[in-house]
Amino acid sequence: MMRTSRSRRWNRVLTGLALAVLAYAVLAPLTSLDSAQALGLPLLADKLWFRLATITAMFVVMATAWNIIGGLTGYAAFGNVAFFGIGAYTTGMLIAKGKWPFLLALPLSPFAAAAFAALIGLPLLRLRGHYFAVASLGVGVAVGELVQNLDFRGEPIFGGASGLFLPIFAVPDRDLLFFYLMLAAAATSVAATWAVLRSRFGYGLIAIRENEEAAAVIGVNTTAYKVAAFALAAALTGLAGGIFAQWNVFIDQENSFPIAYNIEMILMALLGGAGTLFGPAAGAVVLQLLIQFLSGSLPVTLNLPFVPEDAMPVVAQVVLGVLLAVVVIFAPRGVIDFFGGRSRFSLANLRQSLRETSI
Amino acid sequence: LADFVQLLIIGLLAGGIYAAVGVGFSLVWGVLNIVNLAHGALVIVGGYLTWQIFTAWGLDPFLTLPIDALLLFGIGYAVQRGVINRIIRAPLLFTFLLTFGLNLIAVNLLLLIFKSDYRSVTTAYSGSGLELGSIVIPYVRLAALGVALLMAAALALMLNRTRVGLAIQAVGADRDAAQLVGIDLRHAYAVTYGLGAACAGVAGGLIAMIQAITPTAGEPYTLQAFVVVILGGLGRVSATVVGGLAFGLVEAFGQSIPGSGSVFANAIAFGVMVLVLVTRPQGLMGRLR
Repeated sequence: MMRTSRSRRWNRVLTGLALAVLAYAVLAPLTSLDSAQALGLPLLADKLWFRLATITAMFVVMATAWNIIGGLTGYAAFGNVAFFGIGAYTTGMLIAKGKWPFLLALPLSPFAAAAFAALIGLPLLRLRGHYFAVASLGVGVAVGELVQNLDFRGEPIFGGASGLFLPIFAVPDRDLLFFYLMLAAAATSVAATWAVLRSRFGYGLIAIRENEEAAAVIGVNTTAYKVAAFALAAALTGLAGGIFAQWNVFIDQENSFPIAYNIEMILMALLGGAGTLFGPAAGAVVLQLLIQFLSGSLPVTLNLPFVPEDAMPVVAQVVLGVLLAVVVIFAPRGVIDFFGGRSRFSLANLRQSLRETSI
Repeated sequence: LADFVQLLIIGLLAGGIYAAVGVGFSLVWGVLNIVNLAHGALVIVGGYLTWQIFTAWGLDPFLTLPIDALLLFGIGYAVQRGVINRIIRAPLLFTFLLTFGLNLIAVNLLLLIFKSDYRSVTTAYSGSGLELGSIVIPYVRLAALGVALLMAAALALMLNRTRVGLAIQAVGADRDAAQLVGIDLRHAYAVTYGLGAACAGVAGGLIAMIQAITPTAGEPYTLQAFVVVILGGLGRVSATVVGGLAFGLVEAFGQSIPGSGSVFANAIAFGVMVLVLVTRPQGLMGRLR
């Protein structure tokens, strides 16, 4: 009894807190409009704020999208960054080479990514466990390599190693627009997950995660469901990639196919709680802020003794590695689970979770 | 024909390195059911050990290999006993992420210690080689192939002829039954991972003699080790060696196709892997389990 009322109170406090932060994040940028400044409102969002908030929203999209294939369906996809890159290059190529307007090019990004996911998903999703994980990782690496190096009659098709430059999207309050676009993409991802969780499709995916043979026996078309889940995750990730391309104006293999994103999006989803609706989004916000803090991009920075400032990004990676290990060992159901979830944050719980998995 | 022979030799020599990298990876995967994403990092730790000992004390790089093996065995034993054993029964995503985290830690610690400069081990005999007509085979590479095959043979002997080796195989075949006959699982797992790390260390020592290394040079080797094991088939040392040599040949011939090149190394590797997985999931030498 104690425990339920306590976790319920926690739940209420946390929901309120999350809503307040969300409201602030959505409304604060409006103070940067000229009309707001003319009214004498304080400037709550500057260039740095926009950059950070847009990147964070981008990771919310990626972590939430990964959750559909990794968390709900239980297929450990390690190559989702390929969809991000394909989305970025679809929009990028259409704008830079095809001279399309941005708002016409962007809607094609999710379709391109989803089509690619369906294509590679048919052979790859027949693989299970480790085989699927590494094969998808391989696709992530290989697609980036192909995009950078494919030539046609000596000319790089996709801009090659020097990347692609996009014309700047000339509208007033550009930062504001891209932030809201990315935020809309994040909201779309969460809404898509919500819809999936409530549908027959979602129950099918969870059945596949729990026991694929049994799911097939009760009449779930496992192949179609898995490919659809993979394509949906790819579409959302590709959308984020398309927005990123125009926002960043320059794309190349390094910023469109970073292998680190693969791991970061999975860690975010796990940190928040894989398979839950808001867990991946919450994990993305927390972890992205932590990464930015450690790499010194926030106004508040960390100064460690004995560590020179230029070594901080490397130290940040070490911390990320330690965090990965700690989360995986001690909180396999995600940190959010401790707040209002099934388990309470206590030594007994940590021991229990260790006992379940260790020898 | 000379071209063909040359590619054959290049492929086999490179294949020896892949086999050396692959055997430890295969052992850990087969027995512990872990795809060890930190394997490439362990390889590079071995490479830096050889480089460090060679530059500091001038010891012949081939003589550093036993030291690599011993030290890496210790590191591997400790890591498995202290960390990985704690989640060995968790779903594969977790062991996957944990070993990736270990990889991240190891690579970035190396970056902090050694910076990202290229390091290479250059001995008096590094440049010389065996001349066969128009083809030159560097002695170092030839010796590396020899060491790789020796190491694989030693590992196979150990697994099949010693008590420890048989215990490891028993654990790999059936964990609960092995425990029932009195095998200490924690110790057996740690020894297995230690052996895998020791093989990785030796492979890293060989790699440092052949190419310049950086802290991040190990990551491709993790992926290639995976492809090698898939190619050969999981479970036996000999299968991994065959897989390694086959992969070396595929790479050598694949890169010689006009319009291709070393920039597509990963694409070729994964193309081959997906092809094998779809058509012959048990590998070239493997038996279906």
